[in-house]
Amino acid sequence: MYEERFDKRAFNELRPMEAETGVVPNAKGSARFRIGNTEAIAAVYGPEEVKPRHIEKVDRGVIVCKYDMLPFSVPDRAKPGMDRRDIEISQVITNALNRAIILEDMPRAMINVRVYITQADAGTRCASLTAASMACADAGLPMRDLVAAVAAGKIGDHVCLDLSKEEEDFHEGEGATDVPIAFLPSKNEILLLQLDGRVSRDELKKVIEVGKEGAMKIYELEKEALKRRFSNESKS
Amino acid sequence: MTLKNYDYIRSLAQKGLRLDQREAFEGRRMAIKDNVINHSDGSAYVELGNTKVIAGVKVLNGTPFPDRPADGALIVNFELSELTSNYPGDRINSSIEVGRVTDRGIRESNLIDLSKLCVEEGKTVLFVYVDIVCINNEGNLFDAGNIAALRAILNTRYSIEGKEGKFSLPIDRTKLAISHTFTKINGTIFFDPSAEEENVEDTKLSIGISDKINSLQKGGDGFFTAEEVDKCIEKAIELREERFKILMDGISD
Repeated sequence: MYEERFDKRAFNELRPMEAETGVVPNAKGSARFRIGNTEAIAAVYGPEEVKPRHIEKVDRGVIVCKYDMLPFSVPDRAKPGMDRRDIEISQVITNALNRAIILEDMPRAMINVRVYITQADAGTRCASLTAASMACADAGLPMRDLVAAVAAGKIGDHVCLDLSKEEEDFHEGEGATDVPIAFLPSKNEILLLQLDGRVSRDELKKVIEVGKEGAMKIYELEKEALKRRFSNESKS
Repeated sequence: MTLKNYDYIRSLAQKGLRLDQREAFEGRRMAIKDNVINHSDGSAYVELGNTKVIAGVKVLNGTPFPDRPADGALIVNFELSELTSNYPGDRINSSIEVGRVTDRGIRESNLIDLSKLCVEEGKTVLFVYVDIVCINNEGNLFDAGNIAALRAILNTRYSIEGKEGKFSLPIDRTKLAISHTFTKINGTIFFDPSAEEENVEDTKLSIGISDKINSLQKGGDGFFTAEEVDKCIEKAIELREERFKILMDGISD
């Protein structure tokens, strides 16, 4: 049975977080987001000319997003470059950003989003999306809202927030269920939702609720980081 | 696909109507054929409306992964090429997504007991390769691919070097996670999207259901509210029984 979390957190408690913008000075916008031992760095370039030309859209902009797990980010060495997992995660992050960014305002333009996972300890797709949305805001892109993403889930009989790697690998009883979920907080929209594991309909409702609470805390941290950045800029 | 059709399907959707006159939660006809590939250990051909897929299973010896020396492995791959349709869209990315979601549905439901696929610990285990190939893409590859994979796994009979006879995979039939895909177009939710609908959809949700929910995948650029997600799950639970019957039809004990 899982009565106390491995790292002694409360079941609805997030790991310690850090958020910072402007970490890649060459980029139009950039951000670093760290939650526990998971860290993502995102950089945004554009809006710029669309390349390759065939993905250009006449009535809206396009986002090309790439998620890459760096070779040293995991206990074994990850192969450099993008594998199948990276491509899928890039796709779901792009889907979420497509809704968050007001692309109708930038026809025939392209936005490049690049995310590096420097350290991986579960919840990397959520950390990437959080970092990417902060980087987009830092770049001054027109957005409906920031995106706040977190992995909720269920371990044993407990609904949990922000699973660690150790918890994801929990195998006793019904094992662990991992539910990465992303919200557009001001509009109450779910932009990313995945699940693997084993939950009932009612349990899933609770998981989404707990995820929402966690996402709101991340949302506050994102806003703070952005405010800090722009108040610093005006001073210098 | 013309722009005119785009607006037409979306305006129909707002009224809860579909181009092919189906009800909102009415799936297309599903037909299954067994053992269509001689060289595979198990195979299935599935038609979901005009969407056609073939799944083939091969059970081969392999070296176990270092972290699981006594467990076999499951490898699911989905192939979608320009052969299958003339609709626009990013084919390569979407085929990887379908493969990975199908893989997760089977893996996370613990359908196959991989610990029983060990030949010699640390040296040799059995690898179950499930290759799914789309022949004609008329939409909803998630569900067609999932059913084809499950059926091919169910009818797999493999042989082992040095042992007499054929063996079935160690599966638990109560854990068949069946995929149900919903699409949201202009605010209305529909079951089993056609290719035309997928082309104009805002977002979609694939739900893998056994006795519990085993996998979820949201696709597309739009959004769902928590209430809409719950509604889809309620419908999927209702619809599962019929799909399960078709999937198990003709499978012996």
